[in-house]
Amino acid sequence: MVTAVEPWARRVLLCLPLIFIAVFLVIPLGLTVMISFWERVGLRFRPAFSLASYVSLVGGARLEVLRRSLLVAIEATALSLIIAYVIAYFLARKVTPAAARIVLVLFTIPFLINYIVRNVSYTVLLGRTGVVNTALMAAGIIDAPLDWLLYSDFAVLLGLISAYMPFMIFPLFLSIGAIDRQYLEASALLGASPLTTFRTITLPLSLPGVFAAGLFGLVGCLGESAVPIILGGVGYELIGNTITSSMDVLNYPLAAALSSVVILLMLLLMLGWYLVFDMRSFLGRILEWRA
Amino acid sequence: MDEPASPWRRWPMWLIIALALAFLYVPLVPSLVASLQGVEPGQWTLRWYGELWRTPLVLGAFRASAMIAVLVGILAPLLGLLAAMSIRELGVPRFILLVMLLPLFIPGVSMGLASAFLFRLLGIAPSLATIVIVQTLWALPFATLIILTAMTTFDPQYLEAAYLAGAGRWRAFRDIELPLIASGITGAISFSAILSINETIRTSAVQGPWNTVPTYIWSTYRQVGLSPVLYALMGLIIIATVVIVLSFLLLGREARPR
Amino acid sequence: MTRVNINRRDALRLALSLSAAAGLGLVPPRAHAAGTINFADIGVGDPGGDWSKFKAASGYDVNLVSIGNAPSAVLNVLVASGGQGTYEIINIVGGMQKPLVDNGLVEKIDTGRLPNWAKDTYVEEFLGNGKPGFQFIGYDNDIYGVPTVLQGDSFAYLPEKTGKLDSYAALFDPKWKGYVALEDNYTTAGQKTALYLKKAGLAKIANPDDMTKEEFKAVTDFLIDQKKKGQFRVIWNSFEQAVNLITSKEVYVIDCWEPMVFVAKSKGMDVVYADPKEGYLLWAMAAYLVKNPNRTAEQTEAAYKLLDFMLGGWYGAKITNLRGYMTNPQAETYAKDNPSEFPAEQAKRVAEITENVRRKFRQGGTWQNRWPTEVEFYESEWSRFKAA
Repeated sequence: MVTAVEPWARRVLLCLPLIFIAVFLVIPLGLTVMISFWERVGLRFRPAFSLASYVSLVGGARLEVLRRSLLVAIEATALSLIIAYVIAYFLARKVTPAAARIVLVLFTIPFLINYIVRNVSYTVLLGRTGVVNTALMAAGIIDAPLDWLLYSDFAVLLGLISAYMPFMIFPLFLSIGAIDRQYLEASALLGASPLTTFRTITLPLSLPGVFAAGLFGLVGCLGESAVPIILGGVGYELIGNTITSSMDVLNYPLAAALSSVVILLMLLLMLGWYLVFDMRSFLGRILEWRA
Repeated sequence: MDEPASPWRRWPMWLIIALALAFLYVPLVPSLVASLQGVEPGQWTLRWYGELWRTPLVLGAFRASAMIAVLVGILAPLLGLLAAMSIRELGVPRFILLVMLLPLFIPGVSMGLASAFLFRLLGIAPSLATIVIVQTLWALPFATLIILTAMTTFDPQYLEAAYLAGAGRWRAFRDIELPLIASGITGAISFSAILSINETIRTSAVQGPWNTVPTYIWSTYRQVGLSPVLYALMGLIIIATVVIVLSFLLLGREARPR
Repeated sequence: MTRVNINRRDALRLALSLSAAAGLGLVPPRAHAAGTINFADIGVGDPGGDWSKFKAASGYDVNLVSIGNAPSAVLNVLVASGGQGTYEIINIVGGMQKPLVDNGLVEKIDTGRLPNWAKDTYVEEFLGNGKPGFQFIGYDNDIYGVPTVLQGDSFAYLPEKTGKLDSYAALFDPKWKGYVALEDNYTTAGQKTALYLKKAGLAKIANPDDMTKEEFKAVTDFLIDQKKKGQFRVIWNSFEQAVNLITSKEVYVIDCWEPMVFVAKSKGMDVVYADPKEGYLLWAMAAYLVKNPNRTAEQTEAAYKLLDFMLGGWYGAKITNLRGYMTNPQAETYAKDNPSEFPAEQAKRVAEITENVRRKFRQGGTWQNRWPTEVEFYESEWSRFKAA
């Protein structure tokens, strides 16, 4: 029934995304790594194998920026994961599909508004004379405005969570919703407490969603450059900002070196995932596919 | 344990959701207020909504952004679907998955610059096409992961059963798989479009002669301040979205007797 | 067998629709559509989208592309992304000739082709060869930038909170601890700090506008010390943010640009732009003619016409009125003489702003240096300050 022609055409079609990425990403990626070893001559740079950029990266303040970026990204992702998981779990299990759909749509609408405009709005709300402080003072809860609401670690975390948490709900919702209810019922019949059921069945089976959500959050936060600029206060700098800043003086090799380090870190993280979680848990039934 | 909990047990959860939503919706209020404020303090006006139609720069940026979002919203999910299928069928799932996720790992600034260099090497002038390519690249991992997540929940045995019953690949895909992963695909479409209309850094490196809403906003935000007209545009987008979503919900209710 | 055909046709259809979608994106851009000048600008040079006067005079449309003013944005646009083949003119804060000319990105300007050039007395008075302002438009005795906007910077304060202030010392006065904001820019905030340190005798700095490594390191160390003491509330990054800081009274003393004060005043704020005893920080915007390999002689002619238009009275008055910067000597008279285009109140505003900025330039001060000799060291030290 299925002739030889079809699998061939199908394979080409299936390879399209790979070709797309190879052309438009792998080549630029290679260029980036290559340029990181180039050396600068005046305002230009020329091919060489120089470690100068990496040396200045390790020596200067950039390493601290990198460390802080990672820390903040991990914090924001972890917090977002918890919030998103709770919401996704509830939507997938406890409400009707129609209600879940409405709530999910509600979570996407704010993203149609430009994120710069949204972040600027937070500064209006959280400032010393902003709505929150004014309300708290009027209620007599505090005497002086809370300075840490804005231009602080708190504000940056808040900005990052509001920017990426909603993206994380959806994959979690999909994977929790797809868990076969028979497993849950069997677990309950065998006398497992709801907590045990969650730990032994729901959580492991929803790992594909956790993986996708965690990745969305982490890469988003790590690459973010507008939130620290708008909400970060006294020179809050994340990796994206420091890369831009090095380009300001045409130091492309340094910018490339910074990028290469980030890329390497992310690849190591992925490798960790492979080793610890054995992608089987994510790819699940797909691996059982027999064409 | 999984029977619909009685309403009184659910309200804390609804409260959490309401709080999370409030937290996301609150920043829309200052934009709406700013779009209605007159030149003099304390004065209210609809003037900026009228002025919007006479501001070619903002309108042009909006048209470009909308066009790009539609293209990215088509291309990224299509490629994402193909990628998810190739992960399933080409026998090297981990490798393909890793490649598909690569665009996520590169900081936006660097990716913008690197693609700009590439286009220059290839002799492609910056245009709408380069913007669409760069944004599709950015949206593709999201689209792929979402479709893949939907696919992992779907048992390939269904498809095998369909083949055994004599259905061709396309037919099996259309009649059996597509409905089962439809939520993944619609999710991928909306994610891609949303990522597209917010993308600034990568776009600005390849924008050529085009303004998009985010690049225009970013530029004016930094150098001359956001004009009330921009807030009016944001206001219009909010209103239009609410109307569209509400009508979808109402129509959906009529069309789908449940 | 029919089934197979359907499959192939469907696959084909999918591929076709894919390429059609891609094709839609390949719609030829308006770049170099005959009769359009692509004009990259940082937002300041936009006359409210109205180019009708230029079109009527030259037959050309203007496509304004908004870009960032950070050197990275400007240089990336030209160096990396083929902006050289896209734009005719790029209008940014001047003083970027070294990186632009050394990388072959902009062309010398033949001022003989600009009838309005000779009428711009500001060039002669403030920006001419031999004057310190020359570094904003010239390089190696040649002109590369057409001055479009001039301004002198200091800082703003809320008199109700601080009383009268007249020195950059206010930015570091412990009385306003936690209520001060600086700009995130080593060539403005860094230079203002150096001016203060030099005049107050706190550091030995020969030229605040072109410091040695040791000098700039001293400035950074001072700033880090202040930062650790909690002197600064925020290091701002954008126009919008600075205006909000003033109007919400988040800070009382802010290193900023004068147009931000105009905006805050229009919102009913009592805010003053200081006249510091250390002097203003003077600067100018320049429109550069991009070395565009695709450009025809005719397009070059049109680009020159646009540059000349930008030196003219209507454009100058429009930009002064919209953005709060001084533009060219014809602006003031044009606004006064054409009440149908500029109502009396606008003409008055143009005159006031122009007179005020001209006063700053005549009074003199220090010129900002956008590309100091040790710019790379500045950048990495500033990074250290921000990460501290």
